[in-house]
Amino acid sequence: MGKPKVISVKEAAGLIKDGDFISFSGFTIWRRPMAMVYELVRQQKKNLHLLEVNGGTHSEILVGAGCIRIWESCWSGHELYGKLGQMVAARHVSGEMIIEDYSHGHMVARLLAGAYGLPFFPTAEAMGTDLLNPEYDSLARAGLRDGSNPKIPVKKYDIARDPFFGKGELLLMPAANPDWAIVYASQVGDEGTVRVNVQTYADAELIKAADQVIVLAEEVVPESYLRRDPEKNIAAGYAIDYLVELPWGAHPTGSQGYYDVDADFIRSSYQASKSQASFDRWADQWIFGVKDHNDYLEKLGITHLESLRANTALGYSTRIKRGTR
Amino acid sequence: MSSQTSKYASSYRPIDLLAVAAAREVRDGDVVFAGTGLPMLAIMLAQKTHAPEAVCIYEAGSMDGRPIDLPTSVGDARCAHQASITAGLTETLYGQLHSGYVDLAFLGGAEIDKYGNVNTTVLGDYNAPTKRLTGSGGNPDINALARRTVFIMVQEKRRFKEAVDYISSPGWRIKKWPGGEFVHKREVYGKFFYGGVEAVITNMAVFRFDKEGIMYLDTVHPGFTVEDVQANCGFDLNVGRVRGETAPPTEREMELLYQVIDPEGIFLL
Repeated sequence: MGKPKVISVKEAAGLIKDGDFISFSGFTIWRRPMAMVYELVRQQKKNLHLLEVNGGTHSEILVGAGCIRIWESCWSGHELYGKLGQMVAARHVSGEMIIEDYSHGHMVARLLAGAYGLPFFPTAEAMGTDLLNPEYDSLARAGLRDGSNPKIPVKKYDIARDPFFGKGELLLMPAANPDWAIVYASQVGDEGTVRVNVQTYADAELIKAADQVIVLAEEVVPESYLRRDPEKNIAAGYAIDYLVELPWGAHPTGSQGYYDVDADFIRSSYQASKSQASFDRWADQWIFGVKDHNDYLEKLGITHLESLRANTALGYSTRIKRGTR
Repeated sequence: MSSQTSKYASSYRPIDLLAVAAAREVRDGDVVFAGTGLPMLAIMLAQKTHAPEAVCIYEAGSMDGRPIDLPTSVGDARCAHQASITAGLTETLYGQLHSGYVDLAFLGGAEIDKYGNVNTTVLGDYNAPTKRLTGSGGNPDINALARRTVFIMVQEKRRFKEAVDYISSPGWRIKKWPGGEFVHKREVYGKFFYGGVEAVITNMAVFRFDKEGIMYLDTVHPGFTVEDVQANCGFDLNVGRVRGETAPPTEREMELLYQVIDPEGIFLL
């Protein structure tokens, strides 16, 4: 409790140990803590257990770099800039990674339970599907639902009958309480109050669900500024353990009010992910071949970054060419 | 429409007809849950034509936005322009969807069976797949609890299957767990049964579902025949209820799509 400790992104990644259970803020290709993802790859983390409401460019990079052993989620891809999450897909086919598929609503239910200190959350979403097929419970098949790991529930889900109103059967989704929430936020106060712009995704739930929270702030601002409009904030400073200030820390994903998704960059990483060899070359160029975040920004170049910068009135860039006309 | 030389009428492309056919599924006043791409074009076109009071929810957390620039993703800040509420996934998937506000949703998939069960997860056996797809995303949640859903798909024999390899998203006859026997959706959802798959729109035709939840051919797009559709369907398709040809895009619809909704050529290349 108390104020978050201010550290560097390198120190933040150093806190994550091989085998830790992690999760990320954001939604598909928006507000992902990319600078931290790159640093985890640079530090060559192994056997991480990643649980997330949905995947995106960030998870593809971690999976491609061989950092992930268990992935619990519902979707992986790059939206318009690469339909399929090819690194997740390749490892499902090869069997190299344990993949536990839920629906988006199930993942949110799991984080809600985790956030609110509940063991489970009921839902009627995605019933009747193979997501619930007991033969497809990958963690059970790997022998990991024996109760020895307190972070892995002994069942993928359960079914219960509404005891109050006779509404019939519902699913009970087990709480998710990762060791670490790694969050990218628009603005963080100097005492740790967190604000994100526009859609909040599942960021507030994740912060509450995780044991420890690292926040990468696009900018650190005076607490008094955020406290003028407390209804716009999603977490109090006492919920945040570590704070890293890092402009452009979500690039190439988008940060509403600051910069757009870097479509060309994501497209090129997607193209590279079509084979492990070309992914490795991409990682050499953009992760191992740059010494740190500043070096990465230098390599991208100011003209390129400026084209992504959001219009302050609209919250998104009006200068990038998005289509064919 | 005018009989003067038209810019679009004779030269529309399959994607244009898909967008227009999808837009026509929107009823005025509908609360529509839309994903990235064609669904965005469809809801916006409907709002600018026959359904001005339809509103749109984007899964990432914007309710009833009034975008002035076409979003490229549901997480895009453009979705939230002039929205009535912005929030997060708990609000969209539970506050809006689970609580029963959603009338209509547009969804997609790689494989579909005659009951409207859709696969977006794997080809082959889940435990040793030949190909992994994107995964379910919110498709099964939305398909579970929206009153009507419309799937937009590619018409191919390998995609319209007797049985899909993995049921990612629930159609009209689904698996009742823990046993996995096939029953009507109503039996699984009980009082959470709000409706289900209403239509499937492909590059060749529009399909609907009868009282038993079995797919039938409704209209065939201009340039295709019932036989073309049958030849590209992997199950025995009911063609006894065909109403005729799908109405092509009008000049006005094409102008709206290309000049007002997607002038940058993001989805309509």
